[in-house]
Amino acid sequence: MTRLVASNVSKQYGAVRALTDGNIEIEGGRVTALLGANGSGKSTLGKIITGLVRPDSGELTLDGERVTIRSPKDARRLGITAVYQELSLVPHMSVAHNIWLGQEPMRRGGIDQKEMRERSGELLELFSASFSTRVTPTMRVSDLTPGERQIIEILKAMAWRPRILILDEATASLDGRQVERLFELVAQWREEGMGLAFVSHRMEEIARVADRAVVLRNGDTVGEVDVATTSEAQLVQMMTGGATAPHTTRQRAASGEKLLEVEGLSSGRVRDINLSVAPGELVGIGGLQGQGQASLLLALFGAEPYRGTIRIAGKRVNLSTPRRAMREGVAYVPGDRGAEGLLPVRSILENLQLPSWHRYGLLLRQGKAQADAMRAVDELNIKIGDIEDPVRTLSGGNAQKVVIGKWLLRKPRVLLLNDPTKGIDVGAKAEFYALLERLRDAGTAILFNSSDDEELLALCQKVIVLQDGQLRAVLEGEALTHENLVAASMGTAANGSAGRSADSGGRP
Amino acid sequence: MTAINRVRRVIVSPTVIALLLSVVLFLIGGVIQPDFLNAAQALNIVRLAAFLGIIAAGQTLVIISGGEGIDLSAGAVVTLGAILTFMIGAGQDSNIPLALAAVLGAGLLVGVVNGLGIIFLRIPPLVMTLGMTGVIQGTILAMTQGAIPGRTPPGLAGFINGRFLGLPGVIYLWLALGIIMWLLLERTPYGKQLFAVGVNRRTARLSGVNVPLVVIATYALSGMLAAFGGFVLLGFTQRVFLDLGGSYLFPSIAAVVVGGTVLAGGRGSYTGTMAGALVLTMVESLLRAMRLHEAYQMITFGVILVLLLSIYGRQRRNQ
Amino acid sequence: MSRLGILLRNHTWLVPLLLLAIAVGVNVYLQDNFFMQRVLNGNLRVMLPLMILAVGQAIVILAGGIDLSVGAMVSLVNTVFVTLISADSGGLELAGAMLVGVGVGALAGAVNGLCVAVLRLQPIVTTYATSFIFAGLALAILPRPGGSVPRDLTRFYRDYILEVPVAAYGIALLIILWLLLRRTRFGHHLYAVGGNDEAARASGVRVGLVRFGSYVATGVFSALAAIALTMSIGSGNARIGDDMTLSSIVAVVLGGTRLAGGRGGAIGAVIGVAILSIIRNIISFAGIPSWYQTLVDALIILAALAGPGLVYLIRRQRNDGN
Repeated sequence: MTRLVASNVSKQYGAVRALTDGNIEIEGGRVTALLGANGSGKSTLGKIITGLVRPDSGELTLDGERVTIRSPKDARRLGITAVYQELSLVPHMSVAHNIWLGQEPMRRGGIDQKEMRERSGELLELFSASFSTRVTPTMRVSDLTPGERQIIEILKAMAWRPRILILDEATASLDGRQVERLFELVAQWREEGMGLAFVSHRMEEIARVADRAVVLRNGDTVGEVDVATTSEAQLVQMMTGGATAPHTTRQRAASGEKLLEVEGLSSGRVRDINLSVAPGELVGIGGLQGQGQASLLLALFGAEPYRGTIRIAGKRVNLSTPRRAMREGVAYVPGDRGAEGLLPVRSILENLQLPSWHRYGLLLRQGKAQADAMRAVDELNIKIGDIEDPVRTLSGGNAQKVVIGKWLLRKPRVLLLNDPTKGIDVGAKAEFYALLERLRDAGTAILFNSSDDEELLALCQKVIVLQDGQLRAVLEGEALTHENLVAASMGTAANGSAGRSADSGGRP
Repeated sequence: MTAINRVRRVIVSPTVIALLLSVVLFLIGGVIQPDFLNAAQALNIVRLAAFLGIIAAGQTLVIISGGEGIDLSAGAVVTLGAILTFMIGAGQDSNIPLALAAVLGAGLLVGVVNGLGIIFLRIPPLVMTLGMTGVIQGTILAMTQGAIPGRTPPGLAGFINGRFLGLPGVIYLWLALGIIMWLLLERTPYGKQLFAVGVNRRTARLSGVNVPLVVIATYALSGMLAAFGGFVLLGFTQRVFLDLGGSYLFPSIAAVVVGGTVLAGGRGSYTGTMAGALVLTMVESLLRAMRLHEAYQMITFGVILVLLLSIYGRQRRNQ
Repeated sequence: MSRLGILLRNHTWLVPLLLLAIAVGVNVYLQDNFFMQRVLNGNLRVMLPLMILAVGQAIVILAGGIDLSVGAMVSLVNTVFVTLISADSGGLELAGAMLVGVGVGALAGAVNGLCVAVLRLQPIVTTYATSFIFAGLALAILPRPGGSVPRDLTRFYRDYILEVPVAAYGIALLIILWLLLRRTRFGHHLYAVGGNDEAARASGVRVGLVRFGSYVATGVFSALAAIALTMSIGSGNARIGDDMTLSSIVAVVLGGTRLAGGRGGAIGAVIGVAILSIIRNIISFAGIPSWYQTLVDALIILAALAGPGLVYLIRRQRNDGN
């Protein structure tokens, strides 16, 4: 029987320790779930097994023999294949061409189209009952629904005839029928001796499909349990490390007024969100990452089209572009500094002033712009050599302060933060938290998405939890505990004491 | 420490390197051919570089704007500008203001069309501007019908070629343009936003920059500056022909790259382009002094550009 | 999506074919001897070199690149070819010269491929720069237009086999060559690399090699285009290919291939060339004053380039309305 063992693997990205002591055993004929909250290291461990990430230390053995996996290609050669949520399909090619891409069947020097179609047809048969319309090998992938594309991705992995299959959030975009069918097949493949690893943000699925669960917390494997004999509450407790006291925050006197009000907002990844933030309130957005948090914030900043109603200070606004949102006093601090926040090759001054240049006249009063920027540098305690140095010379923490600084110069009423502390060091984080509290106390309405649960618990009076693009729970007061947060993000109720459910009609 | 940093930044700037390179090339010219090395020759090279430099101004802006930005219609626009000046000027100095207005208007029109096609129809800049080249050439043919009536206004020729305090007028014009371009890039909101758009359009948009407007304005400026280049060039040549501007296109792009403006966008300066224009004019004069055929000049320019691209390309990946 | 929509999208050359039929119709209306064997042959002879070139351009565009040096490569191979032969060269000598020509094309393409696929330079400006190197080399080899080609060679190119013009066989051969190439793993991977290079890499496709290969293939097709062109005009000229680069790109776009890569095909490019030359025919027969012909031609080209973008814009507007 196949048996893949990863022992004591670790991985560090820059200053961040993603995985300290990861251990997992994937055995033929068994489904092993990989469980962990945000930042637990479970995705890093998964990527190490499939060769996407190389570990700093530790060892991998396959059937007792030590192996090195340098790339997904290496992994496939060893019979290890992964199905990822981020699709690896070429949209304008046919289903058959996508399934066999990279290992096309050949005949007399040419690609054997007939063979490819036939074998794709056989693979499609596996899911044929779960498609709402017929999917044929010659259809284009771009014409398929997200769920159907995900299935093609699964079939593509199966075409490699793996001995070990890793399903990383493979059910995320499938509908109910397709999930059912996948689980039937998973059971069948398990019977045939395949080893499966299963990562999901839905506890209910893990309970149904997995035999064993490996739980990670803060970069360590904290245990392996039998799923059938372990309750969901116990799993949540393993993920969070035991009971924590309800979090107490300095509650402000609840003022009736709301600064930001959102009703029935839907955009790219989120559906029907209702929420409101009062001046001086810091509301967290939790849940496992990639559940629509970024999409929600971008919509509120006018950077993504949306449907629904947004009111700021009671006035209905149409945020069709970021510039309009800025005019309403909204600011957006991204976590992905390279892609959304900074111009690495440009100077610190230019980065800080980019949203504000128009205030300095047609022929810029450079001296004033520089003095204003220096004030932000001092206020945020950004350590710089010269304000004309390019931003890429700064450390992660200081660079992130520049991203925040450029919005503070505009004194926003509504501050949207999208995982802003990712990859910055502890000292910078502490300063950042102090800054957030200062802004909150000055009356700014803050909406704060974070992949760090501890951070949400420490800073926020209220946390909304997203799962699959929907608002699953609103946690505040007594209910704001790590267990409830993790439980809600997995779609389950821990200890029967979850916060107000969003479905129960109570508007947060 | 700050002061040292600033000094270092100036010394290692591509502008300074290119300037040094042109001096070295000049000295090499002297080694190969001793009569190359004299003040009159140097002044002549600067004068010729001025025309290339003025024509390359718009190209600098377009390349900074990123998104594979390039303006291949610049050559044809130069020709158009020269022909309009020739026809409208008709040898009368009193017509110069009208001619200049027509030249700038035509350049603006071409640039706006380029920008609209690139932003709203999503035609790659290269293909769009190449397509516009044909339209401009067609317009010129239809407009002139083979005979180009007109004459260069003497005042224009007088100013471009005449000497003031020992230097030809075109050099003063070039310096003035240099100051204007520096102000435009470094001291206006447009310039700051242009650099931002060039580095990363998503970041720019999320910082409130109106990206389409900046890009269209850039192509519009490029068109106007190229047309103005034609206006100035006519003062020098005092006659027009259909391929007048075309031969400046490739050197103008090369001058921008030699001057350290990064093809990926977001970084660069017009002072760099000015130095780049000097380098290219120097190379050209050197090759001519060595009596090398036009073919070898093309090969040399091509090789220089490929070499520079591979050096700058590597830098970009190391970031 | 409707059945017709899918059919049109899977066979991107169907709409161009319809356009071609309309263009031919107009042309026949203006020029009643269009279908005469002699006239037809004349048209096909002119089209063939650009068709070969456009197939090369289509290959590199499909793989997500672009090659602005194809015209210069045509000039280079043309000058090499005529320099190697003379008016009384024998068959063996001709074959050898052709082989050298193809080798030069492949080498030039390899230089482009090296810059773009290995050094990862931006394709547009890099191939624009190499075009100056190639054009300069052509000018160095043949400073003044001239050189001669054996009579028999040019005569063969104008001739008929079984009442069918030789150029028509050339076009058939070109299409067969493309269909064979498409069947290979390389041909297949062109689409994957142009469509989504990350996905292709993740699936084990050797993206760099495919990209390099696409430039070499374009070099080879440019050389073949140069040989056909030389047979057609019977002499050498270092500037012969100057105007062919833009035409090749326009033909690819007219043929339904997206400049973004990954979609379309070379058959569309062949049809695109036919449309382009028939439009030029029409312009010259439509009584448009000769001074306006260049402008009309350029406007039609611009409209063709704008076409896909306009469709996109209209579609987006309609979606926004919903």
